[in-house]
Amino acid sequence: MTTNTQNTAILEIKGLSAEINGRAILKGLDLHVRSGEVHAIMGPNGAGKSTLSQVLAGRQSYAITAGSVLFRGEDLLSLPAEERARRGLFLGFQYPVEIPGVNNVYLLKAALNAKRKQAGLAEVDAFEFLGLVREKMQLMQMDESFLSRGVNEGFSGGEKKRNEILQMAVLEPVLAILDETDSGLDIDALKVVANGVNSLRRHDRAILLVTHYQRLLDYITPDYVHVLMDGKILKSGTATLAHELEARGYDWVREEAAHT
Amino acid sequence: MNAELKSTHGLAPLAAVPLVSTGDSSHDAWRTAARGRLIAGGLPTPRDDAWKYSSLNLIQRRDLSPCTDYSVPAQLLASLPERQGVTFVCINGQLIAELSSGALPAGVRYTPLNDLFDSPIGAMQARLRADDSADQRLKLLNAVCCTSGVAFDVSAHQTPVEPVHLVHIATHHGHYPRTLVTLQAGSRLNLIEYYLSMDDSNSVSVPVTDIQIEHGAALQHTTLGLAGANSVVYADVTAHVGPDASYVHRSLELGGLATRLDLKVHLDARGAEATLNGLLLADKTRQIDIRTSMEHRAPNTTSSQTYRGVANDRGRGSYDGKVVVHRGAAKSDSRQSSRNLLLGPKAEIDARPQLEINADDVKCSHGATTGSIDEEVLFYLLSRGIDHDTARALLIFAFTDDVIATLTDPALRHAVEKRVLASLPTAALIRDFVQ
Repeated sequence: MTTNTQNTAILEIKGLSAEINGRAILKGLDLHVRSGEVHAIMGPNGAGKSTLSQVLAGRQSYAITAGSVLFRGEDLLSLPAEERARRGLFLGFQYPVEIPGVNNVYLLKAALNAKRKQAGLAEVDAFEFLGLVREKMQLMQMDESFLSRGVNEGFSGGEKKRNEILQMAVLEPVLAILDETDSGLDIDALKVVANGVNSLRRHDRAILLVTHYQRLLDYITPDYVHVLMDGKILKSGTATLAHELEARGYDWVREEAAHT
Repeated sequence: MNAELKSTHGLAPLAAVPLVSTGDSSHDAWRTAARGRLIAGGLPTPRDDAWKYSSLNLIQRRDLSPCTDYSVPAQLLASLPERQGVTFVCINGQLIAELSSGALPAGVRYTPLNDLFDSPIGAMQARLRADDSADQRLKLLNAVCCTSGVAFDVSAHQTPVEPVHLVHIATHHGHYPRTLVTLQAGSRLNLIEYYLSMDDSNSVSVPVTDIQIEHGAALQHTTLGLAGANSVVYADVTAHVGPDASYVHRSLELGGLATRLDLKVHLDARGAEATLNGLLLADKTRQIDIRTSMEHRAPNTTSSQTYRGVANDRGRGSYDGKVVVHRGAAKSDSRQSSRNLLLGPKAEIDARPQLEINADDVKCSHGATTGSIDEEVLFYLLSRGIDHDTARALLIFAFTDDVIATLTDPALRHAVEKRVLASLPTAALIRDFVQ
């Protein structure tokens, strides 16, 4: 486990509550993430895992009803989605959308340039950029044809997830939230994706793995594991908690929480 | 139609227009009689089912007499995309030789329609006439008023690579181009048509195109609608597709005040195949109506239709696509897709795919959707740091790509992309994406 006290706060969530169409999903959630850490958020279906990911990334269809979120000390909730991305927040989607007609590489370049502009840097050189993309593609074992295709157009489930990690690798976020990145992957694809994520672990970056199963955590060892149930974090622990959840399911967590 | 409207409707001046003799007395007599019936009967009204969506009110008060001004609007010609191959330029239906350029590919024969009229037109008669039904009333108007036109004939097994470009320019009043295309067995042709007029033109174009594709022949036919802001175009295209022959039609409706395309395809023999693609861009107050009729008349015939519509402001569009699988047309395969994007609360697009199946063992599918920009897709782009306006413009542009991507000619595709971009208020933001 990373215990460097020099690590700075990346994400401070306090009492976060959110609803969609009048239905409360998050009900006072607390979470603290520091740089260099990998946190896994686990929980049963419908617990609010995807809502948490989308709320943090700035999806407008959710209404925030209470609480605060600081991202590197800055009020995250007041920023529109695109500003969050430019400041270094990245969401790897559970279901990456297909956008035929918008080229993969152009999107990636525009995303990188938007981020560079925010940081006061010049636009990336086209030639260097292509070199960078090719290098990261190799890491993710992606086919050359990716370069000429539309965003996720005709990609298999595994290819879409690899593409998400590729984007993460190019954009180098401060905080990456990976929403069910393991779902729909066969074991080989899972290894490629996990290897990609592991290679992106850094002292100045934090990663939030949102997952239903422990399977992904066999390949990416988290520093902390949290159980998200009924809209809040009911239990936190280390990597061993994931194994316990795998063996015992989730119900005991709720019972235990009710007694404390 | 009431008496007052009738006395002012645009057909009245036709009574005074001398009909050019076709050299065939029976056809001349038919034209004179048809003109009388047209003037007496007037134009179809929205009560006619065929004209429910595309009202002719817009042209009730326009002078529809054929325009015989052949002066050259140079700016229009300059706006054409770069072209390879031969270009024919017609102004108000008249071929202007000095504006036309390039060499006709080997095996392609071109005949001015006037010359067809000079010779006995017996065999041609059916192709030059129309009936009095509401469906064919505009075609009948063309049959009466057209003074010239062009006929292309591709000899058997000739497969020219270079396209044939046909430019139609309308200046004012009635414009009645007539085009006949015949592909003999095993031949191929790539025909690209352009409809142009100036923004201050009050022209009403009523082009009629008649296509025959014989055994194993293949026609690629693209029409680019770039008429000026006040022009109206009502086009009628009929194609007969023979055994193992194929017809590809792409229409890019990007201009005019109102455009209607009636596209009738007859898959007449075993193995006949048709692919129809269209893009409707209805911004400002533009109205665009596409009506297709796909007749599967023989076994093993295949058709596929892909239409995409974008409406903005008070733009209005419709897609009315009818597929009929006739008795005995077993193993017919038909697909229809109409997707439409509405960008404003006052924009409207009506999609009506219809399917009539009278045979067993057929494969037919159709789908139509009309909606606004997908919030989930928009969010994906925002979450990558793309700003809202750029993301929106990008998604509108990408939506049109299903059709634009089918354009094989790079210059043409570029011209269409440019036009679509120009219609987006935030075009500058996404130029980098689409270069």
